[in-house]
Amino acid sequence: MAHVTFIHGIANKPPPDELLAIWRRALTQAADPLPLGDLGVTSSLVYWADLLNEKPDDDLAAHEGLLEDSVAAIDASGQAEMPVPQTGEEAAFLQAMCRHLTTLDDEAIDRLVVDGKTDGATDPDAGFAAAGVLERVPLPWCLKKPLMLILLRDVHHYLFDRTFAPRGKAPVRIRQTIRQRVIAALSQPGITPPHVVVAHSLGSVIAYDCLKRMEGCVPVDGLITLGSPLGLDEIQDRLQPEWSRAEGFPKDTIRGRWVNLFDRLDPVCGFDPKLASDFRLGGAPCVDDRAVSNTGVWRHSATKYLRQPGFGQALRELLRV
Amino acid sequence: MELSKLEEGSEYVLQRLREAGSTEDLVLARKLSLDLCHARQFALLASVTEALSRRCPDDAQARRLHAQALIEQGYATAAIELLRPLATRLPATDPEQAEVTGLLGRAFKQIFLDANDKTGPMASDALAQAVAYYRRSIEANAADTWHGVNLLALLVKARRLGLDPAPDVTIDVLARKLISRLNKLPEAVRNVWHLAALAEASLGLDDWAAVEGALHRYVADPGVRAFHIASTLKQFTEVWDIEAVDDHGRALANILRARLLSLSTGEVLLSARDLAAARSTQPDAGQLEAVLGELGTQTYRWYMTGLKRAAGVCAIRHSLGARIGTGWLAQARDLGLEREELVVVTNAHVVSGSGAQQSIQPESAEVVFEANAPGQSMGVREILYSSPPDRHDYSILRLSEQPAAIEPLPVARGLPLVEPSTRVLVIGHPGGRELEFSMQDNELLDHDGPTAGKPRSDGVWRVHYRAPTEKGSSGSPVFNGSLWQVIALHRAGGKRGMSRLNGKAGMYEANEGIAIQSIRADVERQRGE
Repeated sequence: MAHVTFIHGIANKPPPDELLAIWRRALTQAADPLPLGDLGVTSSLVYWADLLNEKPDDDLAAHEGLLEDSVAAIDASGQAEMPVPQTGEEAAFLQAMCRHLTTLDDEAIDRLVVDGKTDGATDPDAGFAAAGVLERVPLPWCLKKPLMLILLRDVHHYLFDRTFAPRGKAPVRIRQTIRQRVIAALSQPGITPPHVVVAHSLGSVIAYDCLKRMEGCVPVDGLITLGSPLGLDEIQDRLQPEWSRAEGFPKDTIRGRWVNLFDRLDPVCGFDPKLASDFRLGGAPCVDDRAVSNTGVWRHSATKYLRQPGFGQALRELLRV
Repeated sequence: MELSKLEEGSEYVLQRLREAGSTEDLVLARKLSLDLCHARQFALLASVTEALSRRCPDDAQARRLHAQALIEQGYATAAIELLRPLATRLPATDPEQAEVTGLLGRAFKQIFLDANDKTGPMASDALAQAVAYYRRSIEANAADTWHGVNLLALLVKARRLGLDPAPDVTIDVLARKLISRLNKLPEAVRNVWHLAALAEASLGLDDWAAVEGALHRYVADPGVRAFHIASTLKQFTEVWDIEAVDDHGRALANILRARLLSLSTGEVLLSARDLAAARSTQPDAGQLEAVLGELGTQTYRWYMTGLKRAAGVCAIRHSLGARIGTGWLAQARDLGLEREELVVVTNAHVVSGSGAQQSIQPESAEVVFEANAPGQSMGVREILYSSPPDRHDYSILRLSEQPAAIEPLPVARGLPLVEPSTRVLVIGHPGGRELEFSMQDNELLDHDGPTAGKPRSDGVWRVHYRAPTEKGSSGSPVFNGSLWQVIALHRAGGKRGMSRLNGKAGMYEANEGIAIQSIRADVERQRGE
């Protein structure tokens, strides 16, 4: 009848079944409900939070996207530390990513964490270049700092295929293991087309990496990216040589369309939210960028994107339901 | 505790008490009695406490809970006969004394509430006795907030009726005292009813913000089940009469109904008149969010869609008067017919050309859309397509006239996935009562439709869902849980008498419907012949 493969993004997450249930519930709670089960649409989730975290997050309510009062609720749980670069290339990558996120130095951030002050910078029209995107998020730094660390750690460990082991677990190469999980999920038996991949946050980088760069990746009928950081030059650089601006679209593995939903105030994608100009097909833009406006202060929430009418519309189109 | 566990526990305890039964069994029976009372499973409670009382005739708690079960099942005077000697026998210091006294108040309150003429001598006497017993109970145990809240509700209702059985009691003072006591109750001893009691006590002050604040926490409590909300809704509508107070009260009752139906096994019963009133009530966004939280608007919109669907459900009756089934309005094209026309779908065992198997023939059938035009019947001109009861069990009826201003029910393009979380909803006329609509949440148990099903009969896709507490109606629409699209035509129900689907062995308790898309395919097949 159709199938959706979800890929989650940064930070620790609830156990896989719970996370998939939360995401499906968000679709059902949308203004224009899209209850996959009622429509006979099967779904699965590529889960990789276990590779970077000791145990799943048990604060399920935080992941419903209705709260903004804890690290879990703003995609920042997991207690990450700043990655230690092993090469000059890694150091340059981390520095560049940091510059996107904040113009403050470590000491200033630590002072703000102690003070617990917000920045109060909420003007959506202010230029992103003037300050790091995190300065624009009106949350206390005691939440923003863990978010920054988790974003840097997860993105870095994936793109540089770092070998990593949470406490009590065997070390694995992060990108290699996640790629295997994606390939297995996309090619699982019994999937009936149309098959659509929905990827949030770093999940969109993972989806792209597999669809564009992995030999033998099975084709899908559509891709929807939510709050994707794929627009950042530093990330695109890590996807070369398969990625190029003129031929960035994975034409061999996406039979249908790629729809990209972004919120300009989402700090993960907000610096460069549109993808059409960077992932062209034969030099022509073909990614369908759609702006949405999530509610509240924390705009990166996956469930907020999933409740967007624009998301429901895009998924209905791709699933043909 | 989940209802299925309580049912299993009761079966076990009853069996053990019929035999020798150890001391442990008696302890278990006492604990189970309290759980059953908390869960408002009064039929089971009556059975367990009866069995317990036979073994331990002096067990005051068992006798008292048995009396409560009697009251809740409509036998208030029998309960009074049981409770009075108990109240005389128990010493004043026995903690059961205050409970028994309060329950005598509850029994008399029920007699008062049940009376049609609430100012007549029977009701007046019952009201006076109820107030006296409640007051005595509270005097015996100052910490007893439960009977205090009941007294408050009763006095407010009585005064609205121009009666005043306790002129010395000031409503505001009593309400504030109860709220203070409830707030002081340590967290550890608060049960799931605590917030509902706080909401009721706040009603005594007409403090809607406090009522809605308490209800907000109550309906979101993970321990709250459908029967809790149903009980609170009953108290709010039947005793506090919130729907008679103002628009705010009417909206609040509907918000509670929306929440009730969204819970597993939730059931909302509405008369045709209530249904029309509910459809015209629209709470403001602030009130919705105050009670149901950030997603309140969506929950309420979903509920209102259900009410809209109920308008397309009709009673099918014999022209001589007896109601024999349910049907629903559909767009003919959605069922595979060739043209635009509104038709009624029901079971072949309700209306058929041959009149076999207790069905009636179309010329004897009448259709009434109770929610839209109660009492106005339409004739059935002919059966357009049908399939016998041992196949798809449907008849598609052409009416004598096209119904005006009733929207046909939308038909789902496919069946839901069979997953533990999948719910289906059934709208019908419970127990054959024409003027009452039942909207029920049911768990989807199985179906043998595409893509994984192995149908028993070629082309007939059956859908099984958990049997409702009251027998459903043949011909009712079965909807998917989120979109209110018809997925099946309800045809049968059975307590443990339904064979499992897809080649699985054994029988279970289930209702059965026929997938609407298999009916559509059958219509298209007949058209092609």
